[in-house]
Amino acid sequence: MSIQLINNNSEVASKSQALAINISASQSLLGILKSNLGPRGTLKMLVGGAGDIRLTKDGNVLLHDMQIQHPTAALIARTATAQDDMTGDGTTTIVLLIGEMLTQAQRFLGEGLHPSVLIEGLYLAKAEARNFLVTYKEQMKKNVKIDREVLNNVAKTALRTKLRGELADQIADIVVDSINVIKKENEIDLFMVEIMHMEHKTDSETRFVNGLVLDHGSRHPDMKTNVKDCFILTCNVSLEYEKSEVASTFSVDSAEKRQKLVRQERKVTDDRVQKIIDFKKQVCSGDDKDKNFVVINQKGIDPISLDLLAKAGILALRRAKRRNMERLTLACGGVAVNALEDLTKDVLGYAEHVYEVTLGEEKYTFVEGVKNPLSCTILIKGPNKHTIAQVKDAVRDGLRAVKNTIEDDVVVPGAGAFEIALHDHLIKYANTVEGRAKLGVRCFAEALLVIPKTLAQNSGFDAQDSIIALQEVHQAGQIAGLDIYTGDVIDPVQEGIFDNYKVKEQTLEAATFTATQLLYVDEILRAGKVQKQLPQ
Amino acid sequence: MNFSRAGLSELLKDGTKHISGVDQAVLRNIEATVQLSTLTRTSMGPNGMNKIVINHLEKLFVTHDAATILKELEVIHPAAKIAVLAAQAQEVECGDGTNFVVCLCGELMQRAEDLLRMGLHTSDIIEGYKKGVEKASEIMESLVIKPVSNLRDEKEVSGAMKSALSAKLYGYEDIISPVVARACINACPKNFKNFNVDNIRVLKINGGAIHDIHLIEGFAIERDTHGTVKHVKDGVKVAVFGCNLDTASTETKHSVVIKSASDLLSYSNSEEESIEREIKSIADSGVKVVVSSGGFGEMALHFIERCGMMAIKVASKFQLRRLCQAIGATALVRVGPPTADEMGNCDSVHVEEIGDTKVIVFRQDPKNVDRAGLSTIVARGATQNVLDEIERAIDDGVNVYKQLTKDQRLVAGAGAFEIELARQLTSFAEETPGIEQYAIKKYAESFHVVPRTIAESAGYSATDIISKLNAAHEGGKVNFGVSVEDKDGMDAVEESIVDPFTTKYWAAKFATDAAVTILSVDQIIMARPAGGPKPRNPNAGNNWDDTDEHV
Repeated sequence: MSIQLINNNSEVASKSQALAINISASQSLLGILKSNLGPRGTLKMLVGGAGDIRLTKDGNVLLHDMQIQHPTAALIARTATAQDDMTGDGTTTIVLLIGEMLTQAQRFLGEGLHPSVLIEGLYLAKAEARNFLVTYKEQMKKNVKIDREVLNNVAKTALRTKLRGELADQIADIVVDSINVIKKENEIDLFMVEIMHMEHKTDSETRFVNGLVLDHGSRHPDMKTNVKDCFILTCNVSLEYEKSEVASTFSVDSAEKRQKLVRQERKVTDDRVQKIIDFKKQVCSGDDKDKNFVVINQKGIDPISLDLLAKAGILALRRAKRRNMERLTLACGGVAVNALEDLTKDVLGYAEHVYEVTLGEEKYTFVEGVKNPLSCTILIKGPNKHTIAQVKDAVRDGLRAVKNTIEDDVVVPGAGAFEIALHDHLIKYANTVEGRAKLGVRCFAEALLVIPKTLAQNSGFDAQDSIIALQEVHQAGQIAGLDIYTGDVIDPVQEGIFDNYKVKEQTLEAATFTATQLLYVDEILRAGKVQKQLPQ
Repeated sequence: MNFSRAGLSELLKDGTKHISGVDQAVLRNIEATVQLSTLTRTSMGPNGMNKIVINHLEKLFVTHDAATILKELEVIHPAAKIAVLAAQAQEVECGDGTNFVVCLCGELMQRAEDLLRMGLHTSDIIEGYKKGVEKASEIMESLVIKPVSNLRDEKEVSGAMKSALSAKLYGYEDIISPVVARACINACPKNFKNFNVDNIRVLKINGGAIHDIHLIEGFAIERDTHGTVKHVKDGVKVAVFGCNLDTASTETKHSVVIKSASDLLSYSNSEEESIEREIKSIADSGVKVVVSSGGFGEMALHFIERCGMMAIKVASKFQLRRLCQAIGATALVRVGPPTADEMGNCDSVHVEEIGDTKVIVFRQDPKNVDRAGLSTIVARGATQNVLDEIERAIDDGVNVYKQLTKDQRLVAGAGAFEIELARQLTSFAEETPGIEQYAIKKYAESFHVVPRTIAESAGYSATDIISKLNAAHEGGKVNFGVSVEDKDGMDAVEESIVDPFTTKYWAAKFATDAAVTILSVDQIIMARPAGGPKPRNPNAGNNWDDTDEHV
């Protein structure tokens, strides 16, 4: 090969060989991810280099952590994880679709069909699929109104593929609650949901917190740890001695003078603390006499200041995270102050209950019972790290599924119903296409069936039986989805199994694109590394 | 890597191991978990055996305690590690019953293998196990015997602790349990829900024998005083400083400007005077004992001596905080006389010699104060290993008390509870339709691991004992359990062998959870182990307040 003349370490695979590599790699990847699909998919255990365990069913997590090296597989994995970045769901589906498209294509290519003809057909099919999706969307819009129940169902559908049933249902509720809190007019900023975790009890203790949970506590033994009905001052003011920026020294000639300097040095910080204490006295008077005062500071508070604050009955937290400062004011109200001059009552937030929880050596502070919050917390509990990680990934996907639904304002029936419908439509469409491109359309249509087939297989049913049953019901004009517990045909709309429109749209787009790219490849080149000679 | 070769192993980074399918992944996982449980199983119960574990730092452990064994073993197999994590969760949640978690988990896995060989699908087994644990929690509620009625009654409390202690130090439980019980009661605040296990300290001093264990009501620390004052009696006022007791200095650099010899002299004098003033003012407030976390300057110590005060250095912030709590003091962050609120009070402070170790004891009779006290248990033993084992036993006992403050309910020990639970679960399985019933039945049988192990380690035939116990339970003696001294068994409640309900409850939950998790894995992808030295325990020697201040 000519390339080897240029670089004799290089590798090359060309023509049918290249195609075969692409196809077999995509099939291998499909083989790994296949058993993940659907609520009855199994778990994968990933063991990291340091022996850390991760358990997952989430295609995205798997593709990220699996350390894929094969170029084709990495390409597919990247497409799939990009999908996750966009929509938060559908990663496994993409890998399955790409794998299956190439498998179907292999059949035709084996009979001597040129890839470009097939690709033409795939593109035609994709365009038609989009058209179908749009009409389908209009139809679904009429049928299903997006309300709390539907949102709940969407969250459940997304979560059940990642967690076990009861837990998924419980978390679905939590997820929808959180979205309702942070929802502003046409704008959902998921960043405003703090996801906090505690290694404690079991995952079914996961809950929604109307307020914030901070992962640190007060650092003074005499500070109150459980206060009710409190004002919250959010600030970003250093309450500890700060060195001057210029190099400076004092010279003293007697111990008194030195003492004086010690006192003066302290005074700068003490004055600031005093301002807070005075302010507390001012607001916690009259009608608000019984109210408590909590200071949450982004900067530090040194032990002496803590001591002063503790004596004044103030609960003070230091070194709050920056992101929490933003969320705090959204959750409790008030403004984060950067200077302690001219404090007024309206910079204060309010929470019904602020308390500290200690778990072994970790402390957590709960700021709960806030009014009109625009930020909230999902508190994940679990007995160990891998459980927490699993729930955390799921919660993130659940949140995104609900967000997508609100943005789309429409849902698509799940349980394989959409794929069955699209397949049927494309098969009909294929007959109207002229010439060899027909084959590409068929190839696309057949590939779609991998989703319901895999669902059936993972649930322990015969794939062919299930598909045929589904198709028969669909032909009778009903929406046909697969019941993964009985193997029967159900109506996903009735059962509340919904997927995101956005996810379907993206999946079809991304899968077709990557599959066609891979089919177009006729040569894989790999530059070999030349060992550099070190200069003598 | 050669990209033209396909297949899974070629997709992944070099050195990655990939295990999948029932035969490879599931059965291997089962095997690993079972192996782990057989390892710890023999340590269960009063006649359980000790293990010698030498960890990666070559430290020697001789122990009965499953939590310690597992911690020091550094289990690597991922499935077995899940079982270890479950045990750790139990340790955090209850502080006791870790061996039960591992054994139950191992047993559940063993039975799962039988079920798999019978032809059940893993998802059926999981379903059955889940139903099993749900029903088991229900049944457990009904198996509760009389709860502890008074958490301040030494007899009742020590009775409840006995079974936990006897599992670690069989034969000595009657000596240790009253001491631990008294320690707990002494440290128990008015609202017992606020009980903190940290308020019971164990002071391990080499020498003597296990019988010399005794309780100090108050705080004790293994060190000598700085000055010559060794005894202070009759209502001692204590000032605690969280800083150096020395001349104050600024944070910014400073230098003393001295131009002549007389300047130097006057500077020293002024410094001396200022310290004298400060120490005097402390002494004038009535303080007899000065505790500092930093230390004492030469000069300061001199004046403390002159004022006849006792000087003690407590370097660890953790210890200092305990001391403050024990005597009701506030640690002052600036040198100066404490106010009445900030001062600590105790009955006497003195240096005691135990063996050849000097110990400063802050004694505090709980009757004289209305706050919760601090208890220090002085443990004696011939070797460090014995002492460590005593400490672990005490720890388990204290945790039993902690469980009781949360939930006073008790269940019968000695395997009686497990036999009854298994019996009722089996009858539940028989009523359950569908394929899960096999799994539930096996789930029920798994609980037999406790009586079986106790019986085996006592040298009886396990099958014999279990059938005897079953017969007794059928006959309505629901508290009949295994006795290590009598092969006919005994009534566990009459012998006051009882366990806290919460320990059993969480153990069953965590063990089932782990088993279900391991079973639901069908593929394992392992990255090549990272090179370099073995990662050390990230928490070792890193107490949470060591990193304190000026983060």
